[in-house]
Amino acid sequence: MDVDLEELAAIIEQLDKTEFTDFLYERGDLRIHVRRGGYIPEGPAPASAHSAAGTGTAAAAAAPLPAPAAAPQPAAAPVPAAPLPAAATPNGRNHGMSPDALPAGHTLVTAPMLGTFYGAPKPGEPAFVQVGDAVAADSVLCIVEVMKLMNSVIAGASGEIAAVFVKDGDLVEFEQPLFAIRTAS
Amino acid sequence: MTHRIFVANRGEIAVRIIEACDRLGYSTVLGVSTADKDTLAARRAGRVVTLGGPRPGDSYLNMNAVVQAAVSTGCTAVHPGYGFLSERPAFAELCAENGLTFVGPSPEALRALGDKLTARRLAESVNVPVSAGGTAQSAEQVRELAERIGYPVLIKAAHGGGGRGMKLVTSAAELGEAWQLASAEAEASFGDGTVFLERFVTDAKHVEVQILGDRHGHRVHLGERECSVQYRYQKVVEEAPCAALPEPTRALLHASALKIAEALDYVGLGTVEFLYDVERDELAFLEVNPRLQVEHPVTEAVTGVDLVREQLLATLGEPLSFSQADISLSGHAVECRITAQDPENGLRPSPGTVTRWRPSAAGGLRLDSHIYEGYRFPPFYDALMGKQIAWAADRAAAIERMEGALAGFDIGGVTTSLPLLRRILAHEDYQANTVTTHWLNGYLDNLMAQEVH
Repeated sequence: MDVDLEELAAIIEQLDKTEFTDFLYERGDLRIHVRRGGYIPEGPAPASAHSAAGTGTAAAAAAPLPAPAAAPQPAAAPVPAAPLPAAATPNGRNHGMSPDALPAGHTLVTAPMLGTFYGAPKPGEPAFVQVGDAVAADSVLCIVEVMKLMNSVIAGASGEIAAVFVKDGDLVEFEQPLFAIRTAS
Repeated sequence: MTHRIFVANRGEIAVRIIEACDRLGYSTVLGVSTADKDTLAARRAGRVVTLGGPRPGDSYLNMNAVVQAAVSTGCTAVHPGYGFLSERPAFAELCAENGLTFVGPSPEALRALGDKLTARRLAESVNVPVSAGGTAQSAEQVRELAERIGYPVLIKAAHGGGGRGMKLVTSAAELGEAWQLASAEAEASFGDGTVFLERFVTDAKHVEVQILGDRHGHRVHLGERECSVQYRYQKVVEEAPCAALPEPTRALLHASALKIAEALDYVGLGTVEFLYDVERDELAFLEVNPRLQVEHPVTEAVTGVDLVREQLLATLGEPLSFSQADISLSGHAVECRITAQDPENGLRPSPGTVTRWRPSAAGGLRLDSHIYEGYRFPPFYDALMGKQIAWAADRAAAIERMEGALAGFDIGGVTTSLPLLRRILAHEDYQANTVTTHWLNGYLDNLMAQEVH
């Protein structure tokens, strides 16, 4: 195994700025597995990037994380099994919710257009919303960028953010589920 | 270099492009509207991205969404197919600005061809025959010009694009009023009252030459097609070659097409369209379609060249792998466009669920289609269901083979143009090859009323 230390340092630096719970990088026989929240699985885990959950923000525009192939697991799961679809939980608390089987009393917020998803107004700033936040119908939840045009996405319903299905910098398709809002009190 | 091609189209042509990419080893990403998530192309593409809602403006014509999707999915090139964004200079520019290869000619070439009058001037400048016509400013000049050209004539503003404000004048009595209107419109729109007059050829065949150019200055033609069976400028039956052309005229046709390709330093596939006045044995340049054409398979059938493959390779920078001398024609091919249109009701579109789709299978046949049994034919786009192509050693044999293919084609659930196609193929005018571009407009009602013998 041949690891370029500079590259590794760059990865760690990026990770430190990024919200995630579980990061798996595989290339050839190189395998880097970084996980936040206590449980350290076997294998190399060089990063100690640890920030208090909920304060981390987004710089993924500069260095988008490898998408679906390394989809994160629910926080309690052990070593990667089959990746869960659409369960990229930047806040680590979506209760394993799937947009395809939304519990009663929840509503989906979907992408109004194809574009790049940003959870924060600007890189380095706090996210618009976290899981658990109360939102009003006109609250801005995220930005979808299409060819340098920023489009705010509003909640459309009041309630509490129950899940975030996408990561900063992800390409989101038209009508792709972005958030679940628990509307019932 | 491994390419990833973004397919910015739908229907049968998306399937065709994906198939060509697969054989070249290029991966594909297909942009779809929400109405097209279950299409055959969506099943075959390497990846599918939903661009927007069903209306073309929200999806297939949404330049920003297409380019964003192509960039975000790591594509190196965008194939626009035909229609939609294929002839928009602004889209070709947007692709270039974002590091994507546009599978088509340069934005400059697109711009030069976007306006019929500019294209006509280009043709004249390289001595390609154009229809009798010219510009005039005063009523007196207009009358003289019209007399010289001969009625009927088309009159329109000399500057500005498209067929907007084009008026048909059949006699000297109508000329004064038509000139005043066109001239006033030209004055108001462009600050210049000059009008353009052109002979309106009523009895001509539509012939077009397939051209192909690479980025290294090589250009070839791949013979001509005839597409005279049209209904309101919509081609219905096409064939290659045009059997009605005398050999010297054919040579002039091909040479003219190449002159235009040369003047534009043309890259990729293009079609140079002409009208052929059979009685006068005269060609007149019409326009250039700077893209892959619906009817490209008839050329493929008689030349053996995979045009979509060559188009991709040429636009991605490969030199052409053959020269003009390597291209030879063999036999005759006919294509019928099978559409979800009701010939009994003025070819009204008839979308719905296709419950039965059973094409004929026999030697010499090819079917390009995105239809399968159970497919819900959406109402948002054009009515094309598929293209049946038949090849044989000569025209008569190709027609016979096509008649067999159409007779055995069984489609259920939607009303299609099959009955009309069968009658056209069986018609003595079609078989005698005397059809001109206005034939179907005039004969549609009679054609559907008569019995097939």
